[in-house]
Amino acid sequence: MRRLNQAMSTLTGRELILLAACVAITIAFASASPVFATPENAATIMRNSVELLLIGLGMTLLLAMGGIDVSIGVVMGLAAIAVGRALGADLDPALATVIGPLTGALLGLVTAAVVVLGRIPAIVGTLGLLGIYRTAIFVVLGGQWLSGLPTSLTEILGASLAGVPLSFWMIALAYLAVWLALRRTSFGLHLLAIGNSEEKARLAGISVIKVRFAAFIISGMLAGLAATFYVATYRNVEMSTGSTLALDAIAAVVMGGTSILGGRCSLIGTVLGVLLLRILQNGLLLIGVPSLWQTVVTGGLLIAVLSLEVLAGRLSFSKLGWAGR
Amino acid sequence: MSEAFLVAKGIAKRFGGLTALSNVDLEIRAGEVLALLGDNGAGKSTFIKVLAGAHPPSEGQILVAGQPVSFASPKDAAASGIATIFQELALSENLSISENVYLGRELKHSVLGIPFLRRREMKQRVAELLKELDAHISDPEAPVGSLSGGQRQSVAICRALNLNARLVIMDEPTAALAVAETRKVLSLIRKLAERGCAVVLISHNISDVFEVADRMVVFRRGRKVAERLRAETEPEEIVALITGAHPDVRALEKAQ
Repeated sequence: MRRLNQAMSTLTGRELILLAACVAITIAFASASPVFATPENAATIMRNSVELLLIGLGMTLLLAMGGIDVSIGVVMGLAAIAVGRALGADLDPALATVIGPLTGALLGLVTAAVVVLGRIPAIVGTLGLLGIYRTAIFVVLGGQWLSGLPTSLTEILGASLAGVPLSFWMIALAYLAVWLALRRTSFGLHLLAIGNSEEKARLAGISVIKVRFAAFIISGMLAGLAATFYVATYRNVEMSTGSTLALDAIAAVVMGGTSILGGRCSLIGTVLGVLLLRILQNGLLLIGVPSLWQTVVTGGLLIAVLSLEVLAGRLSFSKLGWAGR
Repeated sequence: MSEAFLVAKGIAKRFGGLTALSNVDLEIRAGEVLALLGDNGAGKSTFIKVLAGAHPPSEGQILVAGQPVSFASPKDAAASGIATIFQELALSENLSISENVYLGRELKHSVLGIPFLRRREMKQRVAELLKELDAHISDPEAPVGSLSGGQRQSVAICRALNLNARLVIMDEPTAALAVAETRKVLSLIRKLAERGCAVVLISHNISDVFEVADRMVVFRRGRKVAERLRAETEPEEIVALITGAHPDVRALEKAQ
């Protein structure tokens, strides 16, 4: 009990609220649907959270830096196609596991080049890329699904270690690595300084361009890792793969207490934000709300959280230029 | 008087057809507080930007410790021991005091090839510096966003000291401060000089300048029109020099 108290005291108010909200909706859905509170459904929720946990981690870095990537879901789609094609061409499955992160990192490099070197606000630059990548997916898939992929990747990544799926070990490792980078290295300090004010960071002698490139590449790589797990699980890639993930990720991360304007972030908050969102989506489906309404809920939550932050005086958009209005 | 740390010879700066500075000669000595005075547009801000490496001069030469230097950026100036504390204080409000003091030059140690921060050492060193400056800040881990204007000036001064600055340039350090805070910052400026730092100070507040400066230089219309030791002048004379009412300035401007 004392250990629990200690753990609770390290959480911020926001994280405690999220935790309470997760518990509350779990109880509510459990009483409304007989299927909700079953081990099978818990596994489904966990399974559905894998991609969002990884992409949300990258999004946390980007938002903390004062950046954003609205194309990240489609980046995952493209990386998933690369992994699927590699499997379809009977590439060694061990090699296929690196195709995803590699493709993601490359696309992250492209994003950084457009946004950083082009000196375009990230929200506009990545919106442009989103348009381009959507058609790229259509062209590459030729309007068809990539389906019936070999099970070789599934056999590797579907494994369990000490009773926990490999995907969760990988997620834990990714969060630990990003936490260390954020809180224990110069990179994290510089990233948060840039999120506070790029101009001041530059005056302090920080190489802003290097840090911004690194953040976009890491975010892309995490989306590529998410794509690898996606393909291993579903063994197909469709046109709409990943299309709602950017919205989901931004909503989950902002709910978690990371500032949409940069300078402040919480990794625990991101995990809780992802869980809340996925529990909510799963529960609504089980009580009979059509899946069409899922993005309404996500979008509504995002707007509501930001409005509450503005009303509470924690956030002000008044100093933003045209791109922010 | 000790030897000059920095010598500026015949500095001129033109922006297109506009002459912002012409033929400025100036010496800055270690352990001395030098105040630059003048009306808006007199050229004092342009002059410190030349010293800080933000503007390359159009003409003239800068010597640091006897060696000619040319600064392409504030980083070059910093490498020569010149630190500038800008009016809008380049501190990150979301980071702690010790993080700000070390930002861009953190102490690191390598574990498995990963350069981890040496947080405890940085915190300790900053706590020492704050104590040395008598800055009345107890916790070097406090976020800078929670500090008052005067405390932020102390953090900026700490940062300059920690960069081993031998010349600290301050632009209107007391402009936005309450009375008690102003006193604190003025005493910090004296402490900097006592440690052997050269301090160049821009201020519009004549009484602040008389309290803290050893020497005063007056700029008018891009030229240096007067240089006075504090012991040999009065506030009235300095005001007359700034406004151009002083006979010396009249004679100088007539001669042109």
